[in-house]
Amino acid sequence: MAYTLRSWNDFKNYQTTCYRNYLHASEGLRVMGSTWSVLAPLKGLGEDILMIGGEPHAASTAGTFPEEAREDIIAAETAGLGFHSCSYLKLFTGEVVRDRIGITDKTVKEGYPKPDVIWTTHLCSQHSKWYQEVSRRLGGIPMYAIDMIGGGNAEKDPKLVTYVCDQINEGIRWLERVTGREYSDELFVKAVRNEIKCLVLWGNICALNRHAPAPLDERRLIALFPPAVVDRTTDESVRLYETLLKEVKHMVGTGQSVAPDQRYRIVYFGIAHTYGHPEMARILRDAGAEIVASVYTFGTCGNFKGIVNGTWSWDPIDPAWVDELDLSTRRKAITELAKIVLGWPTWQGVRSYWALESMARAMIAEYKADGLLLAPSRSCETDFRNGYVGLQRIFKSQIPTIEYDSDQVDVRKMDLPGAQRKTELFVHLMEARKRRSA
Amino acid sequence: MKKDSNTIIEHFRSINEDPHEYAKSLHAKGQRVAGTMCTHVPEEILHAAGIIPVRILSSHQPQAMTRSYIHETYCSFSHDCAYQGLTHNYDFLDLLVTSSSCIHMGEAFNVWVRFAGFEGKSFLLSYPHIIEAKPAAAFMKQSYDEFRQFLETFVKRPVTDDDIERAIKVYNHTRRLLKRLWGFLRRESPPITGPDVAAVTLASQFMDKQEYNPLLEELVKGLEAEPGNKAGGVRLMVSGGACDDMAIFDLLEHLDYSANLIFVDSCTATRYFWFEVPEGRADKLEAIAEGYISRIPCPSKDNVPGTGEKKRFRFIQEFIEEYKPDGVVFLYQRFCSPQPMDVVALRPILDKLGIPSTDFELDTTLPVTQFRTQLEAFLETIKGVVPRE
Repeated sequence: MAYTLRSWNDFKNYQTTCYRNYLHASEGLRVMGSTWSVLAPLKGLGEDILMIGGEPHAASTAGTFPEEAREDIIAAETAGLGFHSCSYLKLFTGEVVRDRIGITDKTVKEGYPKPDVIWTTHLCSQHSKWYQEVSRRLGGIPMYAIDMIGGGNAEKDPKLVTYVCDQINEGIRWLERVTGREYSDELFVKAVRNEIKCLVLWGNICALNRHAPAPLDERRLIALFPPAVVDRTTDESVRLYETLLKEVKHMVGTGQSVAPDQRYRIVYFGIAHTYGHPEMARILRDAGAEIVASVYTFGTCGNFKGIVNGTWSWDPIDPAWVDELDLSTRRKAITELAKIVLGWPTWQGVRSYWALESMARAMIAEYKADGLLLAPSRSCETDFRNGYVGLQRIFKSQIPTIEYDSDQVDVRKMDLPGAQRKTELFVHLMEARKRRSA
Repeated sequence: MKKDSNTIIEHFRSINEDPHEYAKSLHAKGQRVAGTMCTHVPEEILHAAGIIPVRILSSHQPQAMTRSYIHETYCSFSHDCAYQGLTHNYDFLDLLVTSSSCIHMGEAFNVWVRFAGFEGKSFLLSYPHIIEAKPAAAFMKQSYDEFRQFLETFVKRPVTDDDIERAIKVYNHTRRLLKRLWGFLRRESPPITGPDVAAVTLASQFMDKQEYNPLLEELVKGLEAEPGNKAGGVRLMVSGGACDDMAIFDLLEHLDYSANLIFVDSCTATRYFWFEVPEGRADKLEAIAEGYISRIPCPSKDNVPGTGEKKRFRFIQEFIEEYKPDGVVFLYQRFCSPQPMDVVALRPILDKLGIPSTDFELDTTLPVTQFRTQLEAFLETIKGVVPRE
């Protein structure tokens, strides 16, 4: 019998509360930007920082308001953004163009709430350009983008770490200047520890999916990491993930799963379109095939040991390690924060084909996968599109592998019938392999 | 003198026609040759190590081979560059170098390294994605130092500060000459056409600067003595991404309406050379970093921290003041992300200045008839178009 997560509603409420606060607050500092940014530096400005992050907001809007999402994307295109541009970017910018915003509690607010500052990051060729455009459209919001020069083992390269740390340090000075607020290192350090703790806890939760049956499926994974994306700097966020870790450990101990019928275990590389397209998920579910591991849900806001002796390891990091981190100075806190964020698997693969390949190899082995499902996202500039073409070439002779195009939130770009047929074929391939090896 | 100028221009054009053969001939002469995939590669350091950099550009051959290596929604330029690795056209290269630049060209580089046999003879230079970040210079200096050390091992000799200083001077000489060349196009009666200037500039990305500079110098001096021809057409400025298809520039000047190409803001034209590296500095690598930061930024790296400003727009506005275009043609690769995102923000600025603009997307081959129709329609919208006699 399928297990029902007790902490599910708490996660949903946390996420919705963050968005409500951003939309409706009459006081406090509104901050917009990519949630792939380091968030703790914002918290040194006070306890009234209200954030909205581009990717999770766009994803949840698409899930909550499919029609609105389409209108937003079309509005952005009419305003000049390219058909092939990032659909998260277009949905987000489309809301600004239409001057209305919808959030996960199913409310739509007329009048886009302007941020006080934009704090973001830059990695792919359009990442910070997203917010340059939003800033321009909102009349010139001050913005600071950090060049997170990721790619294969970046967190262990002192040159890259120093570069990112120096930018964060400059960024904190800029935040003080532009907001006129006094900066609290005490609040900052507290937020850093929380941020790192959440990332490590999420890694531990994901790693429990190595068990059979895997306690969580892709649908839960995609829904449970957004709180870590939206705001992972609060005591509340740490408490949520600690509670979830306990619960998932209990599931493993008692052999329970949210989707217990797992004849086939799938490793998935792609953004979570199977959740957005229930037709796809249904084919897998009906065949007893579950996505038990994916680089997107695991590694967008989660940390693992990463490259160890030249090869990737999805082993989790001991949460106790976070408590022992020396964060006694601003610089030390910045350095630990930069290292943990540079270590995100999604970033490691953006500019490093060897890291991406190593990650896939390790995930297939560690999660005892029966198949590899690759779904490059047509409008994503990062490894969520291109790296997968290379992966398909490498893995198709080793494990049942299929690849079809998807898109993060633009349903127009999904060849649903074609993808469905390929998925059915994928299930047959996995079954044939099982029979051969039986 | 006129004939001499034409001869030199034709020589440059012939190299552009087949850069691959030219690079091969350098190699045959016993020179070390490195392919480069982005203009952020500090060619001075290669030159100082005795290696001639040759930029890998498109072959413009329709092909489908790369579709199973690079996603179809990557630009045709990256596909084309990857294709040349997969077909082993450049196997003779001693080295392949790129800097971490746009994602698309990064994948073209990956294809060469991963599937075309360049794993053991390639170098990826870590390079900032936000060129205006304050700590960028220190980071670049460290990357350059790693590059220098790599090259020292590769050529089995030290690459000294004196070597680098000499290279800086050679490259600055090229840059100054090219600026003078483009300066002709400011005139009402330039002694050279825009397409010829673009062709001469493109050749600089393939040629050994020791061979290129004297020829360019001769050309510039010769042109300075020439009276020039009254241009009189609609003055068009081009702004966009890599464009090595000279046919588009030739087309601009062979329409049913008279038009003149007067400026090209792209990495195959002015963005390649419109800067200098400070000479005589104690720290050569720091000087190179300073020089490259002062370039017209590539749209994929242009975001001033704190304001989000696109610094390239300042340059464009300056060029507009200096070169006085009647219209701007945005020319970029289909599926390029950063270029069209800049266009969205740039167009309102041009509108305020009263300068009309239009967009063209480049692909592997040039759709001449469609482009001709669109260009002529564009010219018709610009005041003062004079029908061609």
